[in-house]
Amino acid sequence: MQFQLTDEQRALQDAVRSYLRDRFSATQVREFYEQPESDGAPAPLWQALGEQGWLAVLVPEEQDGIGLGVLDAAVLAREFGAGTVPGPWLGTVLAGEAIRLTGSKEQQAERLPALAAGETKGAVALVKQGSTPVPTSAPATSSGGTLSGSLGLVEYPELADVLVVAAQDGLYLIDPKGAGVTVTPTTALDRTVRLGTVTLDGAAGERLEGSTPELVQRLLDTAAVLVANDLVGIARRALVDTVEYDKTRVQFGKPVGSFQAIKHDLADLHIAITFAEHAATYAAYALDEQRPDAQLAASIAKAKASDAADTATAAMIQYHGGIGYTWEHHAHFYFKRCKRLQASYGDAAQHRERIAQLVIDAPGTQDEVTGVNPGGSSGVQGSGVAAGAAAS
Amino acid sequence: MDLRFSEQDEDFRKELRSWLDANLPSEMREAAFWADKSDDESFEIRREWEANKAKDGFAGIVWPEEYGGRGGTPTMKAIYDEEMAKANAPSTVNPLGLAFLGPTVMALGTDYQKREIIKPLLHNEVIWCQGFSEPGAGSDLAALQMKAEPQGEDYLINGQKIWTTNAMHGDKIFTLARTSSPEGGKKHAGISMLLVDMHQPGIEARPLKQMTGASEFGEVFYTDALCKQTDILGGEGNGWATAMLLLSFERGSSAIGQYTEFRKMWEEVTNVAAQVERDGRPATEDPVLRQELAAALIELECLKYHSWHVLTQTSNGKDLGFEASMTKIMWSETFRRVSDAHEKVVGTAFQVPELGQGLSIEELTTMAMWSRSCTIWGGSQQVQRTVVAERVLGLPR
Repeated sequence: MQFQLTDEQRALQDAVRSYLRDRFSATQVREFYEQPESDGAPAPLWQALGEQGWLAVLVPEEQDGIGLGVLDAAVLAREFGAGTVPGPWLGTVLAGEAIRLTGSKEQQAERLPALAAGETKGAVALVKQGSTPVPTSAPATSSGGTLSGSLGLVEYPELADVLVVAAQDGLYLIDPKGAGVTVTPTTALDRTVRLGTVTLDGAAGERLEGSTPELVQRLLDTAAVLVANDLVGIARRALVDTVEYDKTRVQFGKPVGSFQAIKHDLADLHIAITFAEHAATYAAYALDEQRPDAQLAASIAKAKASDAADTATAAMIQYHGGIGYTWEHHAHFYFKRCKRLQASYGDAAQHRERIAQLVIDAPGTQDEVTGVNPGGSSGVQGSGVAAGAAAS
Repeated sequence: MDLRFSEQDEDFRKELRSWLDANLPSEMREAAFWADKSDDESFEIRREWEANKAKDGFAGIVWPEEYGGRGGTPTMKAIYDEEMAKANAPSTVNPLGLAFLGPTVMALGTDYQKREIIKPLLHNEVIWCQGFSEPGAGSDLAALQMKAEPQGEDYLINGQKIWTTNAMHGDKIFTLARTSSPEGGKKHAGISMLLVDMHQPGIEARPLKQMTGASEFGEVFYTDALCKQTDILGGEGNGWATAMLLLSFERGSSAIGQYTEFRKMWEEVTNVAAQVERDGRPATEDPVLRQELAAALIELECLKYHSWHVLTQTSNGKDLGFEASMTKIMWSETFRRVSDAHEKVVGTAFQVPELGQGLSIEELTTMAMWSRSCTIWGGSQQVQRTVVAERVLGLPR
């Protein structure tokens, strides 16, 4: 039983931490925040993502990637959340993953090496705004190889070289600069992202032939899990910074962190974030290992991480007092990023409803490996599924 | 990342399962078996069943073999907890002795104490109570007032203890008393941990009835009760340090047993929900209750992941330290979430033992009430939060 990152994954974590500390710390984030008219992808940062292999993490070695898993990508996502790192990392990784999972050999050979190197950037529009991330919530409609629809709040549509769009019959690749495609930028509250609406009016789509509903669901679960990891990175940093501040901020002759009203709230938050971290880690691993409860784990992770980050970023403002409400303080970076991501790929309530569908409506399909059989109340069946024995 | 257990651990699971198959009759796994038995009757059945289990080597899983234990790993203990919960096996009648006293005696006891205490404890020949809380010393344990004064070779003990689990069944009690006046007003000083025979005229135990109607705990009155001056564990005046060491032995607990038990409860609550009508459809189709049930399941599964985390740390030889306070908060809050779901699912029917067609909800309702105690005993949620804030997060006192 080793429920923890491997040495290699820790090394990856150290590498991204030290890069962000030395090259893209709070100072750079703040400078970036004051340039809302920039394209949203600071060139040195993007170049480093490509050079370090952090865009290639899920791309197989035969397409010049490094062929690691969702858990490795999750390690990166968590650090990017902790650092409120801007740029189209997620869209590029997800576009690549869509092509890896459902593209033909030719499509993979043509697209993946450039995405892995950061030579091209990706964007995705996989679910209708406000919808639970399931294949039936596709935002576009296909007809005879062309696509139509209004894709709201797409991340980095102006920068993208390739856009992965979900339609009712699967995934398509779209050239965002092609005919029948209109990109309308929108101002985003969270300045660590660039958003826009993409309108498709008979746009030419290149179908990803292998995009079955199952694989589309896997892609959506991967997206939810990576976002959950970004959120737990946000939540943990929000808590750590708040604890540090409340150790030194003195009122009534004492550090405010000595008051129980604050202490107990922060203790509860630490526990909620610890749960969310475990869930975000396990969900990534479950996807990599295709464990039977992978979908359930993805929804648990996204629901728990969304709620924990929501509470943590609100507490960060509250327990910094007035300074936490200022533009000069970084609390709002975390708060705004959290607002964007906690609703992305399904909010907490949508994932709880999905959990109910998976476990209450269809018991047995998502039986967790260690536990008892859902639906059986006596718990004495001795199903022969020994704890962890079915883990691959 | 590797969620498999070792072959040795899995062999142990198989061995324990086949022992349970052979030695735990199916009727004993059902609530109905226990429903018509008095506290005394069920205690005696459990005591005997557990003693036989110990004879066959399924007790003291992580205790060294020299003390009659199995010499197993923390993972084996977790597997033991999980399998016992899955099998609906009777809970131990000697919980305080097994969890706390045994390991403390191994660490601090004299050779005589080791010989006299450990094996009889493991085999339920002696049931041990813990005498810590007093009417005026609950969360503030160091405010305890019970006095033990030297008289010849003995201590003469006067005072009162409360919330004593198994008070009516206990044979002996490890208890904190003041053997000298606190020096310089330090309330943690001058306390000793005494090992007292409960079968003597100076000891009177009285049951306390809980809100469930059962009497699993009680009060213990000491009126010139006696114990030998050598019956001190950890040395005279070292009672506070001994108690802190004793309480630390719960730290490695993984909560996998609690997870298994509460997950089963969740399945039962969901089964009941499918049979309860709400606005003309099963409660499992009510969107608000679906949120409630899913939210409880999220906490449950996170508790399982946390148990894996604890097991990983303990298997790698790491001390969890004050993280243990988190584990207590986690499992007791999760238990309450599941209980809350039950209360909301059944609504007014929380008042009655059965829901039409003979569907009994009595056990679930009792558990829901029991969950209210778990955020109090063993360090209230508020005390634990302070510990987490100060010792884990490093916030100032």
